[in-house]
Amino acid sequence: MPQNETIHDLGLDEYKFNFVTEGKPVFEASKGLSEEVVRQISAHKGEPEWMLDFRLKALKVYESKPMPTWGGDLSDLEAVLDEIHFYVRPQDRMGHTWDEVPQEIKDTFEKLGIPEAERKILAGVGAQYESEMVYHSLKKEWEEKGVIFDSIEDGLRKHPDLFREHFSTIIPIHDNKFAAMNSAVWSGGSFVYIPKNVKLDTPLQAYFRVNQERMGQFERTLIIVDEGANAHYIEGCTAPVYSTESFHSGVIEIVVKKNARFRYTTIQNWSNNMYNLVTQRAMVHEGATMEWIDGNLGSKLTMKYPSCYLVGEGAHGEILSIAYAGDGQHQDTGGKVVHVAPRTTSSIVSKSISRGHGRASYRGLLKVHEGASQARSNVECDALLINDTSRTDTYPYIEIEENDANVGHEASVSKIGEEQLFYLTSRGIPEDEAMAMIVRGFIEPIAKELPLEYAVELNRLIELEMEGSVG
Amino acid sequence: MTTMTVTEGVTDVFNAAAVERLGAAEPEWLRERRTHAWEVYERTPMPTTRSEEWRYTDLRRKLDLGALRCCTTPPARDEFTGWPLPLRKAMAQDREASGHLVIIDGRVVHADVADELAAKGVVLMSLHEAVEKHEALVKEYLATEAVPAEEGKFAALNAALWNDGIFLDVPRGVHLDQPVRVTRWYSESGVAYFSRTLIVAETASQVSFVDEVLSDDFTAQTLTSSAVEVFALDGAKVQYVAVQRLGRGGFYQSVQRTLAQRDATLDTLNVALGGTTTRVDLNARLLGPGSNSDMLGLYFGDEDQHFDFNTSQDHVAPNAGSDLLYKGALDGHSRAAFRGIIRVHKGAQRTDAYQKIRNILLSPHARADSLPNLEIEADDVKCSHGATVGQLDAEAKFYLMSRGMNRIQAERLVVLGFLGEVLSKLPLGGVSEKVTRVIQEKLKHHV
Repeated sequence: MPQNETIHDLGLDEYKFNFVTEGKPVFEASKGLSEEVVRQISAHKGEPEWMLDFRLKALKVYESKPMPTWGGDLSDLEAVLDEIHFYVRPQDRMGHTWDEVPQEIKDTFEKLGIPEAERKILAGVGAQYESEMVYHSLKKEWEEKGVIFDSIEDGLRKHPDLFREHFSTIIPIHDNKFAAMNSAVWSGGSFVYIPKNVKLDTPLQAYFRVNQERMGQFERTLIIVDEGANAHYIEGCTAPVYSTESFHSGVIEIVVKKNARFRYTTIQNWSNNMYNLVTQRAMVHEGATMEWIDGNLGSKLTMKYPSCYLVGEGAHGEILSIAYAGDGQHQDTGGKVVHVAPRTTSSIVSKSISRGHGRASYRGLLKVHEGASQARSNVECDALLINDTSRTDTYPYIEIEENDANVGHEASVSKIGEEQLFYLTSRGIPEDEAMAMIVRGFIEPIAKELPLEYAVELNRLIELEMEGSVG
Repeated sequence: MTTMTVTEGVTDVFNAAAVERLGAAEPEWLRERRTHAWEVYERTPMPTTRSEEWRYTDLRRKLDLGALRCCTTPPARDEFTGWPLPLRKAMAQDREASGHLVIIDGRVVHADVADELAAKGVVLMSLHEAVEKHEALVKEYLATEAVPAEEGKFAALNAALWNDGIFLDVPRGVHLDQPVRVTRWYSESGVAYFSRTLIVAETASQVSFVDEVLSDDFTAQTLTSSAVEVFALDGAKVQYVAVQRLGRGGFYQSVQRTLAQRDATLDTLNVALGGTTTRVDLNARLLGPGSNSDMLGLYFGDEDQHFDFNTSQDHVAPNAGSDLLYKGALDGHSRAAFRGIIRVHKGAQRTDAYQKIRNILLSPHARADSLPNLEIEADDVKCSHGATVGQLDAEAKFYLMSRGMNRIQAERLVVLGFLGEVLSKLPLGGVSEKVTRVIQEKLKHHV
């Protein structure tokens, strides 16, 4: 039986991660982005020369690219960027056990429930606080099998060849303005390598926390999944609510080699003063499968389109996207799939809910290059509007250059069904509660795919009890 | 030709002096409208593929405005037997009509309306004539609310340089049982033709309008630019059909806007078969509660034909409906782009709006791009869109082949069936048969 909860009780509009941890960072770059800041970041990390050159080159590209005029409203962004700190170093070294992490930072992650989740259900955990990873640990059994799960800085230090072979090859500096920015000032993020045929049966998790006001976080993640391997990576993000805007721009590069399988789950729950502009891309080789599960609940504006480049024969890409846009939020999300090789298949499913003055936009690209014969793809978008002030948009680009391909796109938009509502209220269920039930039913197909039972920051979603509550 | 003339679109032939010459003998309000349009044209940049609406058509490669001249062919006479054979054949294939209008090389050479309709006040004539005889109506509706110069670079160019056009007015309550048929013939290569169509269907009137454009292959690129404005006032019922059968070398450019008032029905069908480049901008505005627009499209491309449809369904009023279905088959190196948007404006509650685009690719070198968009700002709506790109229905083909057809015969028949769905939705005397025949003719080249 459903409990007596109203749409308000679903908690979608309530933010439970609004707490600030006191404490002084050991270093904080001055406000704004400059060559000096880039050099400071590089010096703090003790990087090789080539990386500093790479950063400086990226800074030039960033400065030369115009601010995007599509997607969300970025007209205030330049002013915001002048006021934020691009690099905040919270402590001097990273811990490999929680005891090594300073008490106040450890308290933060205790409140978020991360150490508990690690003990129970995770293969490894990484935690980023401000600009640096403060904790990174992998269970011994996986370490022995050759799995690498490190901070990106340690990846560069300890595995320079593997790092350099792949770094920035999937998302080059020029890809877009914010990828260029990230390339200039990246700090933190994970370096992951799953060796051939190793199958992780529990997920790896990275947790991103922004604590300080007027802060920019730029994590950079590189994941290499070798032939026949199988793994699942989860990232979660939260921040306290401030009256000023903060900024987050990540770059996530993934290589999924022959016959490997990889799933990347994001539960983005930034506070509503956060700009979240992220580039995520996977190169998917022969017979391999890449799955993106992308949940966007928080932030002021998110622009994020996880993508799969299907470059090997028979590669498969899947994107499941769910967005919730409440008052003052714009979720401009979706996905991109590029079919390059023959017999590649893909599917994109997107569900969004707009409430109050919220706006949810689906933006996607489906491209089939000439030569990607027998490519198959299907895109489905559903949008639910709760109020007459809510807004939803769908912008799917479909570009087909191959006649031996089959692709389809479908989108539908609806108000909460009056018939459904009438049915439920005629059974004595109050209207608010009935609406909550319908929303849960709407999200259910995606909720099923979420790792509800172990990702602790999904508490809010768990509270929704989205599954099986009707009938 | 210098780079400047390309980017600005001001050439030796198309310039402020030409606008002045055209307006010389016209009433002052019209002259001012032309001058205003020319100012808008000059300050509007030539669209590039960086703009979303022109993402799939690169005008720098597709159109050489600087090479186009004005038509110098002397006006044809109003004499059926003297008209070009293909034009006469096309007219002979038409069935009953409420009226005819013939345009040769951009000039209206003939217009007739059935006597009893003329008696009821139905007006079908050249736009020039209408400026004199029905000035108030033309002044109210021409390039104002529907396709003003501000609409875009081509709309501005057309509003400044149109040299003839069509005016149709159907008075209150008058029903035309047979279609009004317009047939156009273009003979001169390397020129630009600018025409406008203004249709006013007054309260509770009913009319179907079929506009067929024909030419032989051109020896040099030839632009036919048209602006179409259709007004359906309260409770009016209008069907607008455009059939494009230009020869190769033709650049067919058409900006169309339909405005449907309370309880009006305003359906459109765009058929594009000929030309080298086709660009249609169609905007359906649902301005009155209870109004409805069905928007149909059909195209069949081969060789290097390029089609670009840019449609929008603007739901301004509540309780209105729109339903779009565009289908295309692409052979050879042909390419089709479809960009469509459903906009549900604030307050347009209980909107039903649909959009469906289906392409089949018959050759490995054909290409189809679809961009169906939704922008919804009301919550009590039913909207959906779908787009598919695929091949011929393999099962249907197999069925036909198992009945003794060879592969090519079967494929041709399946293509006809695929496109035929669109024609069956708007049964207008003769249109379906005529279009089917042209497709059959083109399919002969499909191997």
